[in-house]
Amino acid sequence: MTLPQNALDLAAHVVARAKALGVDEISVGVSESTNTEISRREQRVEQASSSSTRRLGLSLLLDGRWSTHSTSDLREDALDVFLRRAVDATRWLEPDPDRALAPAELCGRGTSEAALDHYDRTWDTLSADDRADWAKRLEEAVLARKDDRFISASVDFSDGGGKHTQVTSNGFSDATEDAWFSFGGSVTLSDEGGRRPEGSSHYGARYLSDLPPVDRVAEEAHRRAHEAIGSGPIESGRYPMILANRVAGRILGTLAGPIDGGSIHHGRTCLGDRLNTAIGSEHLTLIDDPTIPRGLGSTPWDDDLMVARPRVVIEKGVLRMHYLSTYYARKLGRPVTTGSASNWVVSPGPRDPAELSRALPKAILVTGWLGGNANPVTGDFSYGIRGKLLEYGEPTKGLSEMNVTGNIATIFHQLAEVANDPWMWSSTRSPTMLFHDVQFSGT
Amino acid sequence: MQDLTPSVEAHFAGFGVDDDLVRAALAAATTHGADFAELFFQHSTSTSIGLSDRLINRVHTSVDLGVGVRVVIGDQVGYAYTEDLELNSVLRAAATASEIARGGGAPHPVSVLRRFPIPNLYPVSRSWGDVEIGERLPLVRAWEQRAFDLDARVRKVQVSLSDGTSQVYIARADGVRVGDVRPMTTAYLSVTVEDGDKKESGSYNVAGRTGMELYTPERQERLAKEAVHRAMQALDAGSPPAGEMPVVMAAGSSGILLHEAIGHGLEADFNRKGISIFADKMGQSIAHDTVTIVDDATIPGSRGALNVDDEGNATERTTLVQNGVLKGYLHDQISAKQYGVAPTGSGRRQSFRHPPLPRMRATYMEAGPHDPAAIIASVDRGIYCDSFSNGQVQIGGGDFAFFVRYGWMIEGGKLTRPVKDVNLIGNGPKVLAAIDMVGNDLEIDEGGWTCGKDGQGVAVSQGMPTVRVQKLSVGGGR
Repeated sequence: MTLPQNALDLAAHVVARAKALGVDEISVGVSESTNTEISRREQRVEQASSSSTRRLGLSLLLDGRWSTHSTSDLREDALDVFLRRAVDATRWLEPDPDRALAPAELCGRGTSEAALDHYDRTWDTLSADDRADWAKRLEEAVLARKDDRFISASVDFSDGGGKHTQVTSNGFSDATEDAWFSFGGSVTLSDEGGRRPEGSSHYGARYLSDLPPVDRVAEEAHRRAHEAIGSGPIESGRYPMILANRVAGRILGTLAGPIDGGSIHHGRTCLGDRLNTAIGSEHLTLIDDPTIPRGLGSTPWDDDLMVARPRVVIEKGVLRMHYLSTYYARKLGRPVTTGSASNWVVSPGPRDPAELSRALPKAILVTGWLGGNANPVTGDFSYGIRGKLLEYGEPTKGLSEMNVTGNIATIFHQLAEVANDPWMWSSTRSPTMLFHDVQFSGT
Repeated sequence: MQDLTPSVEAHFAGFGVDDDLVRAALAAATTHGADFAELFFQHSTSTSIGLSDRLINRVHTSVDLGVGVRVVIGDQVGYAYTEDLELNSVLRAAATASEIARGGGAPHPVSVLRRFPIPNLYPVSRSWGDVEIGERLPLVRAWEQRAFDLDARVRKVQVSLSDGTSQVYIARADGVRVGDVRPMTTAYLSVTVEDGDKKESGSYNVAGRTGMELYTPERQERLAKEAVHRAMQALDAGSPPAGEMPVVMAAGSSGILLHEAIGHGLEADFNRKGISIFADKMGQSIAHDTVTIVDDATIPGSRGALNVDDEGNATERTTLVQNGVLKGYLHDQISAKQYGVAPTGSGRRQSFRHPPLPRMRATYMEAGPHDPAAIIASVDRGIYCDSFSNGQVQIGGGDFAFFVRYGWMIEGGKLTRPVKDVNLIGNGPKVLAAIDMVGNDLEIDEGGWTCGKDGQGVAVSQGMPTVRVQKLSVGGGR
């Protein structure tokens, strides 16, 4: 017998084969994707790649023992050896009573493929010439703006699409398809002291037509490179912080660790006992919404294959949810929610971002990050920043070689206002934010 | 020296990869002409077991198989890969790469085969594939128990032991045929500790391109002891002051400073494109004359060790900065041709799914003349950094940062109180020029560092003697 070529049949075949080997429960996923990338520099193609991939992953339960496995060697004999070894490896483990497939009645699709709208059918017919044309037009737009400081520019266009099929031994069987497009450019300029500051602009979207015009990308790359010219640190101190919408994900993302079930179970959290208490100001409302049409983090089911649905994470500053997969919910003896984030949507405020700083004598606008990290146990974070000093809303100096320092559990209490400009090209859709009294270190 | 190539060829013959397939694929890859073309076959197997909640309750196994085809015309690259090693699939990938790179030049003839012996930098007594899962379990259990035994304040312990072997076979249009068998292993231990209402975590890891030999009694003891020590140190640690101050980098993992401040900037692709801050500094003095920096693929058993690089070129110890003067870049095949120099064996890739790039291997600063204790004693007020988690650099501007997980305040020439969780930021050339004392205590760190570039992660090592940096910006709390 030869292996089925159809992914659904292949996954079902593996489920049956594993059951025959003595596995109690199994979940099998088959991921198939095709990706293409083209980059240009000095008015010609620098690198292009195109590839298709197919990979099988599985998690299995045997006598209360749980394991995961993956392979790209899908030859029939090799797959059989792979399965036997997976089962043998699992037998060495100790039983973990909290491992189980999610109950069948909680599993399934929350949103139809049509409603998720995350497969742009134009991707099926996008030709090599189309891709080359996108990259070429973007490069032309970037080069049209070069000035005396210009050293180099590179642009890229990439896209991909594929299908993920999942079958379990307790009755789940479904598939979801998506596509994505990404493009952007980087510009390098000359500066004093041999510095070569770089500015870049990149966008990603589910639909090709949702990508911004090439002129916008080119203008942003040049503008950001120019803003870095002559940049440097200012005196250490406490300043209001304006967090640009497209980079707000870094600070919001520091919340993800401490509210994750695994962190809570292992005691690595500063927010494990803060459910239904205020962890921020009333200006912060955060929704996890996997159902957003064309959302980059949208999904019909979660990691446990449970129905994916919108959830309130923070409501007017009050923490309403911990991320609890079936496993960690059982470990903690609490009701399951979902194991990981999808799209994070911060509710916008009423005013334009420019209004946030207009009345402030001094504020630091953060437009980029450089290194840094956060400690989920204490909540302390420290990140390198790039940005601008604003005086009554007007940029007066480019900033670099500076750090921002704070604590996850307290920084959002300093959130004074959010603007009306949610960033739509990311799974974190945040508006620009204003925080008061934030510690920056420079000179 | 050794010749692994015949055994690797025999291994891939089991997948139907023979000389006929290789020649046909290279012919397809060079249909439209090529200055250079290669096939990179890879078969990797890995195992990871995990312990938490006092249970060895996780195992993950992985198999990865495929071939990447690269066609280079000038500095233009066409790349394709397939996970199916059947002839037709490999020919399709080769034709795709050729079409992408189409340059209109003359087809490159497949030359007489060239084979060369390579060093044996990572001998193992047994391949990881021959080590039973059951042999790993007592190690993991013993590490956990040791961590609990070290201090009653240890509340939770998590352990993972990961290992694997990657067989690679590189066949080039210029006739080079070379194979390598690359082991790798990493052990990671983390603890959560509580003391009254204070809670912290600490972790330590050891890694190497080797087999079970890595886990000597001394190294196993260090794995548990360092994780617990770091967590305990963190319980009492605070935030340092904010602003610019002298920084003493401890021997070992402080090599992250070199990796970020200068290593990436000397990868030749950034320089041939003119976007590195070091692009026009070759031959110039960029550091104090006690500073010599190398990138070395030849340290036996280190994560950065490579018998041969991922383009099939011999590896070496490359001097980047000698007595303060910039001497060299890290070259892959493309940049070496453009600069008219020999490749430095620095062409590396994450897997067959990626084209190679100039990358670091093991980057370190050679030992200098100073006593480490005298370096600390020379600082009136600053910080001492001895454990790091991550870093980043902006290649053109030269700004870089690294995150200090644990360190100490230096006050009056003495280590006075522990500090933690602070980002340090500086500018590469300025910081290099500000290194004014170099210790005589070079250490190559034993941790499992991974370097990211263009979406590709590769295993690296780094090392450093104790050094003093006159001034860095510290992201402290007040």
